[in-house]
Amino acid sequence: MKSIKRCQHIITLFLSIFLVGMVVLVIKINREASFYMMNSDDHRLGMVYDRRGDVLFDGTGRGQYTDGYFTDVGNLIGDDKGQMENTLVAQNIGYLNNYSFSSGLVEKGGKAAIYTTLDHDANRAVYNAYMGAKGCACAYNYKTGELLVCTSLPSLDVTRGYADIDNMESGTLMSKVMYGTVPGSTQKVQTVISALEIMGRERLFSKTYSCTGSFVNAEGKNIDCHQSWGHGDQNIQQAIENSCNPFFAQLIQDSDMPLDRIKSQYEKLGYAINGEDMKYFDIDGIQCERASTTLTDTGDFITQWGCIGQGDTLVSPMQLMMWQSAIANSTGRMTMPHIISKVTDVDGRVKKEADTEYSKQLFMPSTASTVRQMLKTNGANNYGWQVPGYDIGIKSGTAQVKEGAEENALLVGFVDDEAHPIAFCVVLENKYSTPVSAEQILTIMLNSLCS
Amino acid sequence: MSNPLAYVFSCIFVLLTHGTMLFNVFYNGKYDDVNAVFVLMAAVIGLDAVYFVILPFFKQQTYAVDFMLILILNMGLIFQSCFGGVEFRLKHFVTVIAALVACRVGYFACRDHRWIEDKRKLIWICIGILMGIILLFTGSRSMWISLGESTSIQPSEFIKPLLVLACATSVTEQQKKHKLLCFNVVYENLILFGIVACVCLFQWWCRDLGSIPTFGAIYVSGFLLRICYPKGKYSKKPIIIAVASLAVLAVIGIIVAPPYVRDRLFVDVWNDKNGNGYQQAQALIGIADGGWFGKGPGHGFLHNVFAYSSDIVFATISEEWGLLFSVMSVFVLLMIVAIPLVNPPRSYYHGSMCAGIAAAFSVQMALNIFGSCNMIPFTGVTLPFISMGGTSMAVSGLMAGMLVAAQSPVFKAPKKKKEQKKPLPAQPQQMQPIPPQQPQPLPPRQDAPSQPPVSYTLTDRRK
Amino acid sequence: MDTAKLIMCAVSAAALDICVLVLMITAYREKSSGRKRWRKTSADMELADRDRGYPLECDEILIGRHENADIRIHDMSVSRYHAILNVADGKWTITDIGSKSGVYVNGVHVEQKRLRENDVITVGERRLIFRKRRDRH
Repeated sequence: MKSIKRCQHIITLFLSIFLVGMVVLVIKINREASFYMMNSDDHRLGMVYDRRGDVLFDGTGRGQYTDGYFTDVGNLIGDDKGQMENTLVAQNIGYLNNYSFSSGLVEKGGKAAIYTTLDHDANRAVYNAYMGAKGCACAYNYKTGELLVCTSLPSLDVTRGYADIDNMESGTLMSKVMYGTVPGSTQKVQTVISALEIMGRERLFSKTYSCTGSFVNAEGKNIDCHQSWGHGDQNIQQAIENSCNPFFAQLIQDSDMPLDRIKSQYEKLGYAINGEDMKYFDIDGIQCERASTTLTDTGDFITQWGCIGQGDTLVSPMQLMMWQSAIANSTGRMTMPHIISKVTDVDGRVKKEADTEYSKQLFMPSTASTVRQMLKTNGANNYGWQVPGYDIGIKSGTAQVKEGAEENALLVGFVDDEAHPIAFCVVLENKYSTPVSAEQILTIMLNSLCS
Repeated sequence: MSNPLAYVFSCIFVLLTHGTMLFNVFYNGKYDDVNAVFVLMAAVIGLDAVYFVILPFFKQQTYAVDFMLILILNMGLIFQSCFGGVEFRLKHFVTVIAALVACRVGYFACRDHRWIEDKRKLIWICIGILMGIILLFTGSRSMWISLGESTSIQPSEFIKPLLVLACATSVTEQQKKHKLLCFNVVYENLILFGIVACVCLFQWWCRDLGSIPTFGAIYVSGFLLRICYPKGKYSKKPIIIAVASLAVLAVIGIIVAPPYVRDRLFVDVWNDKNGNGYQQAQALIGIADGGWFGKGPGHGFLHNVFAYSSDIVFATISEEWGLLFSVMSVFVLLMIVAIPLVNPPRSYYHGSMCAGIAAAFSVQMALNIFGSCNMIPFTGVTLPFISMGGTSMAVSGLMAGMLVAAQSPVFKAPKKKKEQKKPLPAQPQQMQPIPPQQPQPLPPRQDAPSQPPVSYTLTDRRK
Repeated sequence: MDTAKLIMCAVSAAALDICVLVLMITAYREKSSGRKRWRKTSADMELADRDRGYPLECDEILIGRHENADIRIHDMSVSRYHAILNVADGKWTITDIGSKSGVYVNGVHVEQKRLRENDVITVGERRLIFRKRRDRH
């Protein structure tokens, strides 16, 4: 009868709504159980491996390792203790969970693991190359985006715990690669890119400015050159090789370089301008600071220094290296770096595999080719003997920090080699008091990566 | 009894289920004194046995609901007695018996739909009295009346079955239409709307927000079953469109709602897992820790969390017995509600009553289970038949009794119509059904007047 | 988790599953016996139209032209909600619920009337016969 049928329909309606909810619940629990368990106090963690299967982090805590085995990547890989937040393990701890809903927590033989793209041997070689000096170095394959080296000194051996955390030097618990530093003259690469984008190759190469060692800018302030007697008349290629500050100050002040164009190009490159909210971009969960600078007026002292590489400009070594990939690939698009190559779950099934990703267009491919040639010329002319055996495009930088008390050496560039497409950035802090030079560190890094 | 074989088999399998569960407790459970397990066994098996012996004396037409009821109630007793170590929970045992008694009460009260329908005004008055009691006797804006040290009752729970009865309606009632401002309306529907609005506002005032969805659902089922009969054109399409647009509006509302409203709706328990989200976070961790087969009776952690035996009881069961088992238990609950789909009620009043009960139970189960699992806001509603709590158990039992009544209805003539024959005994010759295969010659009836010949063939061709 | 424990859990879950199945079977068995019992309660009658019989399967059967009527008669002479059939103690009663054309039982206009077997009910211009249910061929 219809009336009774109607009652039954209502019952069916309520029951089916509930049933649908129940099905959703069971599916949700199945999918998210691993995440729930990570919030529990009870964990069984898996391993992190480098590209050759060498252990970078042992979540089981059962393995035996020599002292300092993990120090080279200690502040990048981190651990599950919660002291370091911005590390691979802390940000991806869910992947290491040796748990599945059907088998529960697996005490032994769980296969949950993160396989990274890092090269432990190269990292260790670079770490040792610093010989106790501070700084950081990173390198990655600019074709595939695999991060190969990412070491930061001082570092720590996570297996020793944090008992002497009060005695650790500042910067121990973070990977400096991810945080902004004064770029020094390596900033000039970005300024050249901007100038090429704004006025084009012909116009830029036709400009020559004179350097007398010091330049009085529109505000009446002095912009000094590191070579106090000056470089004389130069074009852009010479200015890049000489890393001439007055040249770039005059270039910024040039009427062909309107401020809004510079600003928009810097924004395209990823700068946070004039105290705009600092954002982060992330590399497999690890947050990396965005570059930042101040641009108020082309005649302004701080703005000009900002474009030369001092002033308010801060760029992370990671981002300096990523811009090199856009140049080295001649595409104007950065290859986005990744650390995780694949993730396996508790049963050893591959849960996630990395893919090469690219950024959006930062500048024109023609600009990229031009800058690429400029840096390669610089590398051939000035670095052939310092970094022997490699066809590199390179730009060095010297950054004054601590109000001029210390100077950091920076090297950014790329190797032009089909077999070893490597973009790099090396930062050596307080370069006058170290037993080693940035070029030596770079040589050791390239040797261990290309061998 | 019409199906003795089915009855015996049902008994055996209910006992078997309880037996295996108890054996599981004995084998896997966590207990200091093995006697605790034996006391529990004696209580469960004893209650089963007594129930199965007593049950046939009620001479019902169907027993499926009763079997499911005892199955789930004793399962609940076993669950409750195992949380955090096996220990016979006498209090829960008493509430189980109270639920069974309430079931009988519900059965006897509701099996004659004309009788209970005539008591409509009494039901309205009862709802009013209950609200008055809440107003007078509970503390200001609270929902509990405390009786002595540890016992307290929640009078608002009793409004649920009464509201189900008030929302149930018969076709005859819906035909009593009156013209009101050029609309054909049934006064009773207006009164009901008023009552429901009062109850909901009252609950709002009492801060008992958890029960408003239940009352709302009962009314929605009642409303959907009422709008079919006024003479105005109600077809399915406008209803479907209305429901769909409401759903779309709700979704849009959630999307465009300001963030603080959304935060209230979707508490991120994981960011506040030691504060407001503690219960739900622990419940989810418990479920995840239990996996499909659980950690074993008594081995869970959740018994340390507040309201482990009532509000997050689903998670507590999942942790100790496994998700498979807890989902199966919920399935038994669903089966109880779904019984009217198998064996249809025989009157519209019973049908709409069953729909109201289905609405009440499914919404309550949804609020409890999905709330504790962080799918919807956590309200602290009890899970029928399983959660600890006397009032909720008795009321759930009463509603189950109403389902039993709809399964075994009696059709007595209304008393005022004296000219009809005196009512038959309550269960006329139910114990010996006549096989329908046998042709039944029609005996000449004394009271039948001689029929004028009609144009149709009236030969009895029944086979 | 050791195997014995797992087996115990699986066994008790399986026992519950089987029990639910058995109870479902019981419910379905009771459905068929319930139908037999309804035949007794309702005296196993049906309303026969010209070409078909309408089984009487519950109390309060609505006769009318409206879509929601249990016995829907497509005839403009029948009111949307015409009459209602009630059963009590195996006796059926027909009640006029405010129809325009009225209800006639055996040619007599009635408001409410106990029905007997082979009564002819006239609603509008349609005649229905109240008779013992027949199996369809």
